[in-house]
Formats: sequence, C-alpha cells, structure tokens
Amino acid sequence: MSGMISRRDLLARGAGLLGAGLLAPGARGAFLSAPPSFPGQVPPHFPPRVNRIIYLHMVGGPPQMDMYDYKPVMEKYYDADLPESVRMGQRLTTMTSGQERFPIAPSKFSFKRYGESGMWVSELLPQTSRMVDDMLFVRSMYTEAINHEPAISFMQTGNQNTGRPCLGAWMSYGRGSQNENLPTFVVMVARPTNTEQVQAISARLWSSGYLSGEHAATSFRSSGDPILYLNNPPGVSASVRRTTLDGLGELNRMHHDRLRDPETLTRIQQYELAYRMQSSVPELTDLDSEPRSTYTLYGDEAKKPGTFANATLLARRMAERGVRFVQIYHNNWDTHANVAGRLPDQCRDIDRPSYALVQDLKRRGMLDDTLVIWGGEFGRTIYSQGGLSKQNYGRDHHPRCFTMWMAGGGVRAGSIHGETDDFSYNIVKDPVHIRDFHATVLRLMGYDHERFSVNIGGLGQKLTGVVQAHVIEELIA
Amino acid sequence: MIRSLAGIVVLLTTPLAAAPAPTDPAARLEFNRDIRPILSANCFPCHGHDSASRKASLRLDDREDAVFMGAIDPGNPDDSELVFRIHSDDSNERMPPPKAKKFLSDEQKQVLIRWIEQGAEYQPHWSLIPPVRAELPEVSDEAWVRNPIDRFVLARLDAEGLQPAAEADRRTLARRVSLDLTGLPPDPELVEEFVGDTSEWAYDRLVDRLLSSPRWGEHRARYWLDAARYADTHGFHFDNEREMWSYRDWVINAFNANMPFDRFTIENLAGDLLPDATLEQRIGSGFNRCNMTTNEGGIIDEEYRVLYARDRVETTSQVWLGLTTGCAVCHDHKFDPLDQREFYQLAAFFNNTTQPVRDGNVRDTQPIVAVPLPEDRPRWDALGDEIGAAAAAVEERRETARVDFHEWLAAATTRSLAAALPQDEPYLCLPLDEGEGAVGHGVVDGQPVELSLAESAGWQPGPSGSALLTSGAACELEQAGDFETDQPFTCTAWIKLSASDGYAALCARMDDGNGYRGWDIWTQRRQVGTHVIHSWPEDGLKVMGKEQILADEWTHVAVSYDGTASAAGVRVFYNGVRQETSVENDKLAGTIRTEVPFKVGQRHIGSKLTGGVCDLRVYRRVLTSAEIESLAKQTRFAEILALPVAERRGEVADELYGFWLGMFDQPFRDRTARLEALEREQGEIRKRGTIAHVMQEADEAASAHVLKRGEYDQRLEQVFPATPAMLPPFPEELPRNRLGFARWLLLAEQPLTARVTVNRFWQELFGTGIVRTAGDFGAAAELPSHQELLDWLALEFRESGWDVKRLFRQMVMSATYRQSALATADKLVIDPRNRLLSRGPRFRMDAEMVRDAALFASGLLGDEIGGASVKPYQPDGVWEAIAMNVSNTREYVRDRGDRLYRRSLYWFWKRMAPPASMEILNAPSREICAVRRERTNTPLQALVTLNDEQLIEAARQLAQKALQARGEEDTDGALRFIALRLLARELDVDERQVVRRSLDRLLAEYREHPDLANALLEVGESRASESLDPIRLAAWTMLTNELMNLDEVLNK
Repeated sequence: MSGMISRRDLLARGAGLLGAGLLAPGARGAFLSAPPSFPGQVPPHFPPRVNRIIYLHMVGGPPQMDMYDYKPVMEKYYDADLPESVRMGQRLTTMTSGQERFPIAPSKFSFKRYGESGMWVSELLPQTSRMVDDMLFVRSMYTEAINHEPAISFMQTGNQNTGRPCLGAWMSYGRGSQNENLPTFVVMVARPTNTEQVQAISARLWSSGYLSGEHAATSFRSSGDPILYLNNPPGVSASVRRTTLDGLGELNRMHHDRLRDPETLTRIQQYELAYRMQSSVPELTDLDSEPRSTYTLYGDEAKKPGTFANATLLARRMAERGVRFVQIYHNNWDTHANVAGRLPDQCRDIDRPSYALVQDLKRRGMLDDTLVIWGGEFGRTIYSQGGLSKQNYGRDHHPRCFTMWMAGGGVRAGSIHGETDDFSYNIVKDPVHIRDFHATVLRLMGYDHERFSVNIGGLGQKLTGVVQAHVIEELIA
Repeated sequence: MIRSLAGIVVLLTTPLAAAPAPTDPAARLEFNRDIRPILSANCFPCHGHDSASRKASLRLDDREDAVFMGAIDPGNPDDSELVFRIHSDDSNERMPPPKAKKFLSDEQKQVLIRWIEQGAEYQPHWSLIPPVRAELPEVSDEAWVRNPIDRFVLARLDAEGLQPAAEADRRTLARRVSLDLTGLPPDPELVEEFVGDTSEWAYDRLVDRLLSSPRWGEHRARYWLDAARYADTHGFHFDNEREMWSYRDWVINAFNANMPFDRFTIENLAGDLLPDATLEQRIGSGFNRCNMTTNEGGIIDEEYRVLYARDRVETTSQVWLGLTTGCAVCHDHKFDPLDQREFYQLAAFFNNTTQPVRDGNVRDTQPIVAVPLPEDRPRWDALGDEIGAAAAAVEERRETARVDFHEWLAAATTRSLAAALPQDEPYLCLPLDEGEGAVGHGVVDGQPVELSLAESAGWQPGPSGSALLTSGAACELEQAGDFETDQPFTCTAWIKLSASDGYAALCARMDDGNGYRGWDIWTQRRQVGTHVIHSWPEDGLKVMGKEQILADEWTHVAVSYDGTASAAGVRVFYNGVRQETSVENDKLAGTIRTEVPFKVGQRHIGSKLTGGVCDLRVYRRVLTSAEIESLAKQTRFAEILALPVAERRGEVADELYGFWLGMFDQPFRDRTARLEALEREQGEIRKRGTIAHVMQEADEAASAHVLKRGEYDQRLEQVFPATPAMLPPFPEELPRNRLGFARWLLLAEQPLTARVTVNRFWQELFGTGIVRTAGDFGAAAELPSHQELLDWLALEFRESGWDVKRLFRQMVMSATYRQSALATADKLVIDPRNRLLSRGPRFRMDAEMVRDAALFASGLLGDEIGGASVKPYQPDGVWEAIAMNVSNTREYVRDRGDRLYRRSLYWFWKRMAPPASMEILNAPSREICAVRRERTNTPLQALVTLNDEQLIEAARQLAQKALQARGEEDTDGALRFIALRLLARELDVDERQVVRRSLDRLLAEYREHPDLANALLEVGESRASESLDPIRLAAWTMLTNELMNLDEVLNK
C-alpha cells in the first residue's frame, strides 16, 4: 500500500489537494461561484499533481538533433554513410527506403550548454534555453509508428488506429469540468509562419472515441467565431437573444409540464449555458485586457490571431479560467527537405511563446499544478533525405528516438532523462515509450494507468493499451 | 421490503433482463438470463474463451470443462470448487481474486449456488440460438392490442405493474410518423386531411402515403450510410475527394423500390460477383469501397492492406451479425466464441480485391466503372462495340505494317528522324545546360534572351551534359507565356525530383496572389500535371498524371493543353508515354492572362521547386504523341539509326516500330484517329456522368494470414475463407467468396442476420434497439429488453421475404408506437429510459432531420433526389483549419442557389472535417461503421440551432411566408401558419400569450434599431421580400427562430 491513499483519505484531504491550484487571483473568481458543468467520473487514485495540462504538439516531427539532442561527433561524419551497425535493418519510410545512400547530415546549428542542468540547446531556441532549469527533457522517447497519421494517433490516443479517446478526453472524463461557462477540453490549431510542408490533422485526434461525446475537445478557432456558431448572427443583439431565450424557456417549461420528459429540463439548462458562453468566451478571448507586460513576455506576435504565440497566451487565460486541458497544434515540422531554410522559421514561431507560457504560469503560481508538454509524433533521421550540402539537408521520419520536454506540475525540473547514441539514432539509456509517457502523465493527473479504464464490450479499455506500460518514476519530482 | 428494494436497484443498475430478477428460491434459473451475466462480468476474462489469457487452464464458459475440472459439480454446490472459492476469505484462494477488483454480491453468490443445485444447465448465448416464434402472451387489456407487437410489450408492462400511455393525439401522431418514415415533418394539408378523416382506415392511409413518398428512401438511406461509413473523401492524409455518390443514390433507390433486404444484402456485399452483374448491381458492391484509404508517402502497403480487410470484417460483422469481431484481431475473443484464427478466415473473404492499397489521391481509385447519365446509356453501350472494332482495326494494321516498316528502316538515316521532331521552333526554349556561371541562354519568340540565374540555383549532371538545380525561382522572363484561355500550348522538359510528398511549380506564369491566375506545370508527390486558372478553385482546371515519376531519375515530361477550357484537353506524358490523368478541377471560363512574369522553379510567390530541370520548351500548339515521343527519345532513336542497317533488327527495331507507326504510317494513323474520336466521344459521356467504386476479385484464391497481435508483419498461419464455428456451417455448394458469404448470412438457420437488422430498424423508430447495443449481440452486451418480440419481428421479416416496408408498417401500426410520450412519475422511476416502452418514442432528432425539418417548414427544401454532393452554408475555415495545403478538399467553396437547400444526406462529407453543424449534433465522422448514434444535449448544439445561417434564413423564409399568406396584421393567423409547419398543431392560449409577449418585445427592439432589422434580413443568400415592413419581418424572423428552437420542434 505504500504510496497509495484510500479514496476516503483523499476526500478528507481533497479540498486542499484538488482545490489548491484552482484558486489563484484574478479573473477566475467569477467563474468559480457556479458549480462545474459536469463532475469527474473517476476519483483519482493518487493525490493529483496536476490539475490542468497544456500540450504543445509539433505536427510533422521536429528534428531532435537540430534542437535538443546535441551530437557534436557527427561533424566528422559529414556525408559519410550511416553505418549498417547503427541502422540495424530498421524499417524506413518508403520515401527514403529506395535511396542508394544514407549520408549523414550533422546539424548545421550551433549548440551551447545552459542552466544548472547543463542542457545543450540549439541556437535556434534562445528564449527556451534560458529556462532549462524549469524543464524536464526526455531525449529517449520512442514509438513504433513511422507515418504521420498513425504516429500522431499513437501519441494522442495511445493507439495507431483511429477511434480511441485522446489524452485530453481522458482528462475530461476522469477529472471533469472545473468551470461552468467554458469547455473542459479545448484544442487550437496554430498557423505556422512557414507552410512548406504542412501535414494533415483532423478532429479524430481530439475526439472522445468510445467515451461520451462531451469529452471531445471544443475547437477554438482563430478567425470567425472562436467557437463554431458562438456569436449571434448580424442583426441579433444580446437583448434580442435574451428575449427569445426567455420566451423559449417559458414555452419549454410548459411543454415539460405536459410530457414531463427530463431531457426537456436539461435542454433548458443547456440553452442558458450557451447564453453564458456567449459572454464568457469573448471575455476569454479579449486580449485587450492584457497588460503591456504580457506582450513584453510573449511578444507582439501574440496579438495576431492564429499564431502560436496567440494560442499560448489564450491557453494561459483558459487555464486561469478552469479549462482542464488545452491542446495546441503547430504544423509544418515535417522537414523532409530544407531543414536549413525552414527550421529557423519553425523555432522562431514557438521559442519565445513556449518560454513565455511557462514563465507566465510560474509567476502566477499556476505552474505547480499545470503541466506543459512539448513534443512531436516521432523524431527525424541523422541521414539526409534528398540532396545533402553543407548549407542544407532534409531528414526523414525516425521513430526510434526523439525528444520531448515537460514543465510544471510534479515533473522533475532541471533534469535530463535518457540518452541516444552518437547518431541520435538508437536509444542507449532509459528508453521511454509513448505508453510509458502516457502512464506517467496519468500518474501526474492522479491515476494509476492500469485502473483508469472504461468498460467497452466487456473489456477494460485504457489509454496505455494492452502492452505493459511503466510509470517512469525518475520523471516525477 | 429489503428484497423489493434490492429488486429496484438491480433494475436500475443492471442491463434490462428479459424478465425481473428471480428472487423466488423455487424459481427455475435460466443460464442466459441469470447466470451468464454474472460469469461474463466476473469470471470469463480469465476463465473464458480466450485461450491466451486463461488462468489455471480452467474455463467456465464450457460446462464439460468446468465439470471435468471440478469447478462445478452439478446438483452439489458443496462439492463445487467454484462455490468454495467465491466464499473463501483467503486472498490467495478467493475468486474473483482481489487484484481483479471484481466483487460478487451475496445475492449473486446465492444465485450461483442455486443454479448448481438445479443442475448447472448451460445454454448457448441467446443470440446464437435461432429465433423461434413464442406463443403470443396473454395480456391484461385485449382492447389495447393492435398487432402482436403490442402483446409482447403489454405483457412486460403488466409484469412491471405499468400501464401503457394513451394513444397520442392525431396531430402528434401525424408528425411523429411522418418524421419517422420520411425524415420530414408532415405537410400541413396532410395533417388536416388525417385529422378530418373519420374512417377506420385514416391512419393506414396516412402511413401508406408516407411509405410511398420518395423521401422514404432518402431517410432510410441516411441510416444505412452511417453503417456503410459512406463519405465523399478518402479519409487519410490528403483526404482528397472520392467520387462515389452513385452508391449513395443506389441505396436511396433500393429503399424506394423496397428492394428485399436479402437482395440488398447480396448486392451490397457481392453485387459484382453475381452472374452477368448489371451496372446497378456493381454499384451496390460499393459498400465495401466506402472504407477510409490512404496515400501517405511513407506507408508500407501491406500494413494498410491488412487494415482495409480488417475494417471490412468489422463493418460487415457489426451490420449483419451484431458481433464485435474487432477484439479477435489480436487475441481470441474474451466473451464470444470467436477465436483469432476465425477472424482472419473472415478477413480472407475480403482480402482478395484488385483495389490498390494507395488511393492515389484521386477521385476515381480503381476498380471503378463509369456510370453514364440515363440518356447516354444507349450510345454508351453501342460505343463499347464500336471501340472494340476500331481497336481491332488498329491492331490489325500494327501486324500488317511490318513489311512497310522494314522497307523504311533499311533506308532510314538519322536525318529521317528529324522529320519526326516538331518542325517549328518552340515558342520558348531554355536549354539550361550551361553547367557553370550565373547566366543562361535561350530563345523566346524567335529572339535570343539572356537569363540571369538566381543565387539559389546551381548546376548538376543532367540527362546529357549539365542541368540546372533549382531552389525556388531560377530565372524569370517578363513577357513570356502570357497566354489566353483559348491558347493551346505544350510544355516539355527534363526534370529530376527527390522522394517526398512535396509539391512545387516546375515553371509557371501564375499570380498566386490573385486567385492563382495563370498556368503552371505542377508537381505533387512526384506526379506531374498542370493548372490553368482564372480564379482558384471556382474557375480553373487541374489535371495530374496518376503515376509518380521515379525519384532521383531524369525524366522527360510533357504537358499539353488544347485551349478548350476543359480538363479533357490536357494530356500528360512521362518519357514519351501518354499517362492516365486524374482531373482534380474542371471548370474554367475566365481569362488566364496575368501581369506577373514567367518563372522557372516556382510560381510568382510560392510553390518553390527543389530539383533538377533542363531543356525546357514551350510550343504554342498541341504536339502530337509521336512528336513528344521523339523529343523524349531522340537521343536513343538517333543511336539506333546510327547503327549499320544490318544491326537494326530484333529488339532494337521493335523500339522504333511503335514510333514509326504513329509518325509515318498513314493507314495506321487514320485508324488511330478513328479510334481516338470514338474514345473522345466515350470520354465526353463519361465526363457528363459519374463513376462508381466497385469491388473486383483478384484471380488468385482468397486467403489471409493470422497475425500475431494483429501486426501486419507478424504473419502466422495462412488461412482461407471460412465462417466462425459458433454460427451455422458454411454450405458446401456455396462459393467461398463474398457472394457465398452473403448467401450464408441469409440462410434460414442463421440466428443473427434478421434479428440484428430488425433491431436496427426498431432503433430508428424507438430511439433504442430492443438490444441497446445495436452492433453487439455478444455475451458482453446487454440482453434484449423483449427477446420474444425481437424474435417474432425477425421471423416476420425473414418469412415475408425480407420486406422492409412491411416491417416498418407493422411497427408504426402498433399501439406501442402510437402511444403518447407522456412520462408519469412512476414510469420515470421504473422505466426511466423507456426501455419497457411504457410510452411513445420521443427523442431529439438526428442532425440531418433538424436541418431538413427547418428547410422543409420554410419551403426552401428542394425535392430533387440524388446527384453530386453539395456544399451548403458552413462557417468559414472549418476545412482550411486542418487540411493539408495540397488537399483538394482544403477550401470549402459554398454552393449557390438550390444547392444550398438540399437534404442533408447530400452534404459533401469530408471525413477529416465533417459538416460542422452535423457533427455537433452527433452525426458520426463516417470514418468507421456506426450503427448507433450518440444523442447528447449540449450548449454547442443550442448554438447551432440558434445561430446557424441556414436556420436563420429558414426562419426568415417561414416568417415571410406566414406574413404574406396571412397579412401583416393577422398575428394569430401568421402564428397558426408557422406552428402548423413546425409542430403540426396550433399553439394553445397560454403559449400564444408567451409568444405574443416575445413578439411585442422584438418589435420594440427592432423599431428602436432599424439597422439591426436590415442586417438580420441580409442573412442568407435568398432575398427578403421588399413588400414587407423590414422591422416586422425581422421581429417575426426571430420569433420563428425562437419557435424553431422549441424542445418540441427539435424532438420527434
């Protein structure tokens, strides 16, 4: 029983544990006066370390050796063939499997060490490098998926095939809503500056799978209504809307008196909730109320709807208002070609906002129980795809190792986990499979991944699937 | 007291059993009803069918085994290990073990003991026992019974001490049955006729009229299309368009023709395999072509081949057998007697298609058939023969011309070849073979030009000599290539591309900042083609070669456009060989002239090419195939003709023969021209019509491999088509293919097909199936609420010749269906979800019905059946936010006019971003089979029905019609007009009071803000009547919007 607490213990201590992170000063007070729109379905098995998650997914698979997985030895190997002893017959995508040579492309970007942890970070990430001691790096992530569709699905839902609930949906299902006027789980698709090789993403990544539909993400959009159909049409003022809703509510209650269908009462409530959302969402997305210091931190890009910077600022505002899970997708990381030309754009998009988000949460006292996750669906190859020159190269998909980082709620800040070989090709120390990562995040959320399941067709279905997953204790503070 | 309380708890928390839980110790226990649920939930996971996870080699799902192992001693609970184990206090012995976190209640333990006392009799799972006609039960109220359905329902209500609700009033009933049979509210006249019809047969007549409406087929088809996972895009990666709406129309027509369900089954699963299959039957086989497919660059084909077959098995078994076979992909099924091997035997039936794994990102992935317009069918059929004859004539000449060829060959010199090359100078010629420096030389319109090459450009070895290596624009020419839409041209070049999913312009005169006006030579995923554009995508052509050119190889490419503003006028050649093309856009009318310069290596702003280019030519005419072949092969041909005559034999001569025929042999050229003319005619007919995605068996014998953990590269034993042992044997005389499989599904002894089908139809009317889990009739699923009723319906259905309309008629004629939806306090406790059918069906309509009903009430809805999918109103950005740049379903271009107002089942379904309002209202994504929709009640749904442009416009139209029909002063008359269309009834006095209050306030609001009134009337494409007072119309519009959001309107 070590390390476990009973449900009763938890309830006894619950107020302190669960509530601690919720109550921070500022705009949230108003939202907490009303009860949450739906409670969690699964009481946590452990004291949760995390009450909300902001997940930054880099669609396409960032090249780890150009950003975080420093491989100075590769300088000597420029244009040399990748040794077969390193490749070990590994599955290649059919985009490069026909290539005659696998010439090594050392990163053309320079690296420096930062912080107490001495983490090596690429010159492309000047802001992020300033906060390495707030971050936990996992350089030994791996997956089996090698193409985008199955790989993103694996990362988000624990399964390469579509149709399973994603991490955010599990969070919503287990822990429930903690606000009354906003969705529990929000997704934003940020627009990259450069759009050379944008990959497909789709709502199937943020669906609720076999969980009930309310656990799917609500998509926040950067143009038009932030939530689909949120705003009244032209010519309909708030008071016109109120008038019609008053009439509607009265008529529906009369109808309920006739047939007594409880769903009618639920519908009346949902219309009122919709009305409240019509004012709470604009309040949320109104960035004019942010002080100048916010933009000093996030940069002026944060004022432009649709940018990654804008999405991270909104994510912080959502976290403040009790949104449990915010998923941000940033696209165009699929660097088959033109790493030199594109990667600086990609990194510029995310560097400062990532830094700003973590620091902003920290200064507001929210980082303790907010988890920020950064990563893609797989890594990239050390060898070049297509032409290789000193100036430029491309990199194919690589599932056998990639780097992710986390910050905040319960993670061991300022540490570096795992190690790859000199080629950033194979993991030589402390591998972390996607399912281990999921198990660890679930633990931070307060769940034993083995027991956090729902019964579907008689089987307990869980995020971590059937192959044994392991909580990586070293990642947890 | 305690006991009855426990009874209620059981009723509320466990699946509905067929009868109340047996609490009387003397009562006979029944395995399926009383025992299986306990064992299934608590014991089978470790002691069940799945051999891999079985513990202690003990299985409790098999009586013989359980007795042999001593777990059960029939008649002697005290000697049964099972009884000892479930009572043990020792955590090492107790079952279920503590770590399983499963606990038996004392009552469950007692039930198990009594069952062993009574002899521990087993039964196969209920759904595997063929249905039998139960005796019709005695009921408390004979007068209530209208047909046998009611006996089963009332008997159960009697047992629960409940009474059915009174019959719904006629207006409610007319609305309900109209929505259920046609998906639309009733026409007000139909309602009045029914209300005024005092004859005994009034309701019969109403039902018959609705069943004969063509709307019936549309409505039934919609449910089927969820199960068939029909959509208009491929689903993965690019998620490009797939043109297969002919299948959707086929389903509509099948229901409208009341095609018997057995035939429907056969044509869906195996229409292509029927002897002398008709076009229609082949279209039906599209059911198995509706699955998602991919064309992602890096995939390994086998992985997806396995996924496709798996999807087909899972879909087929859910739809016809109510089995969740998916579990057996990786391991033996834990609850149902289906082992992993049997899953792959089923997969073998579906694993033998000629369909390529990669969909090619084209709308017409093979195998397909052309579906001409009805009026083209006779000529189409005749053309088949004529083309056959013309092709034979061509072939005949190909044989006989050899003599002439050898005569020519003996005399030919390299100079003879020159005659075959285009005789005119190209309009533009850029060799791009200098090999050094930053200056290129070329000729444009007869004038020599010097090109200054960009810094990003470099040199590399070319196909002969050097070639340019581009990275974006290598050079530009201010004046070149400024063509008009009717200007034919041919562009040829040598290119080399590396492997990637990328896209780029080889050369272009195109203003991507101005609707992409101009033209380009385009590459995507190493396919080559062209855009010719006035304004993308609504006014432009896009045609791409279907095949990819080889990566990292020099390839000669040629693209010609004949100036006819039609995709049919574009040809693509790789290495001199004409390519099959896919048309991705085909509507060009405006000019393509643009100010921006001609560029090599990109469009004006973007789409930069990283790759090799040389010998770029543009001709201001369409080159012949032979000219293009000679450009591509001139080096090789010259080599041949440089050989001594004696060596120009065999394969070397053969290389030249085809080229010579096309270039120099007049009889061959004439015959070819005749053939091409016929083919062009055929092409035009094809273009006017549509296509169907069909199934086609490969020649080899069907088989599949058992896959370890379901992984595509972990092949175990090879297996051949066979059906699971738990189901009736596969008859010897049936072929082991999809056709045999379909016939096997329809065998009289088949316990599942008819039950599963009637259950789904029942669900369409009553909201929930008799078996709640419509896709799972297995051991882990809920038991049927009325098994005898289900069996009776199944047998009625099958014995009637699988007559769908007859079945629906029986269901809607029942007193059960006709009940009022009134829920009493008792019923809300005992029957909260109406599973006992203690009242009439009432639930929120499906997404499509909500929209269609509003369009119908407003008079906007069109009545055309079928046709290409449409794109009605949708908020901007739904597609664009998630689609890949190159996807041809990236931009949602809203339709205009009538196409905005068609039924929702015609809405273009992009799988990665389904119609937004539909998805919010619980429409499935159509990615995988869905036999049951969720039905949530959320604020986002309220926002749709309150704010959707489509519904606001419909409200305005309905308000306008009411005011026009009634005059602006007749408030009650206009209200009546609206209410009859939305509710099929008038508002009562109290309601009118509320509504009038709303109206007065709205009038006041809009009087105060007339600008708002005008803004509101601008919503939607249709125009508001100018003869009505805009303030009044605005107020009435919002009043109608209020009424359209009534719970009563949203519910059926």
